[in-house]
Amino acid sequence: MDKTDPTRHTKSKTKKESLSREERHKQLEFQNEAVVHLNALYNYALHLTMNPSDAEDLVQETYLKAYRFFNSFERGTNCKAWLFKILKNNYINRFRKNSKEPGKVDYDLIKDFYHSIKDTRSDTSESESDYFHSLLHEEVYQALHSLPEEFREVIQLCDIEGFTYEEIANMVESPIGTVRSRLYRGRKLLRAQLEGYAKKYGFNTDNIQ
Amino acid sequence: MNCKKAGVLMSASVDGELSFGEEQEFLLHLSECKECRAEFEDAKKTKLIIKEKIIQFKAPQALIISIMQLTSFNTKEREDTLLYE
Repeated sequence: MDKTDPTRHTKSKTKKESLSREERHKQLEFQNEAVVHLNALYNYALHLTMNPSDAEDLVQETYLKAYRFFNSFERGTNCKAWLFKILKNNYINRFRKNSKEPGKVDYDLIKDFYHSIKDTRSDTSESESDYFHSLLHEEVYQALHSLPEEFREVIQLCDIEGFTYEEIANMVESPIGTVRSRLYRGRKLLRAQLEGYAKKYGFNTDNIQ
Repeated sequence: MNCKKAGVLMSASVDGELSFGEEQEFLLHLSECKECRAEFEDAKKTKLIIKEKIIQFKAPQALIISIMQLTSFNTKEREDTLLYE
């Protein structure tokens, strides 16, 4: 890290100004490339930790690290994927290595949040008796979180964040074939969960096509 | 292609991640197999459901501010030293 060194004060002003310009350029680029993904990163952190204050810490750490190593970011590649990878590594270091339980899972908070939003059954324009569309946000959330982490993770990265298989494979450090099969099995498990909800509310799932 | 092989390709097809050749083979199997066709439709729906129903939280204001400060701190410091001289 660059600490202001008093001896430097004697050095020529022009050198400092150009350094500052360089730094300014880096900041501008960082804001355009990296800071724009703040919301996505926060959501990912929230899904991993299930705890808002842990999530904030993770995002802070991620941006600190990303800024420090911004020069090693390969220009032209997906910056969001690069940030997600850093966040995931931070998460593993923080919670797995220290065997610190990822902060107490705050289901109430999630529940409150989902209750606070307008969440009404079958309010879609879909007229067909499509039970999938009648599901509540909260139910889908719970179904997703009931999956083992390895499945939940790839579904999240693919369906919510829109990463390619190659980017996901890099993030979870597994071959693309593994990503493929985890997505296949994960979606199947998820479907079984969602059908459970549908049945519970009296939707007939036998004749779905 | 049998159903087992089709299963391996199913998600990748939903996500548009198959090669041209794989996609052709997969579609050929779907045209011949009712079960896989139904499963394929379900898989597409499941993806859609996740996209539609999982709500994205907004990052708290305090976090946004602190990230912005994080990336402007160094300049501020430099600006200050410039001013003091």
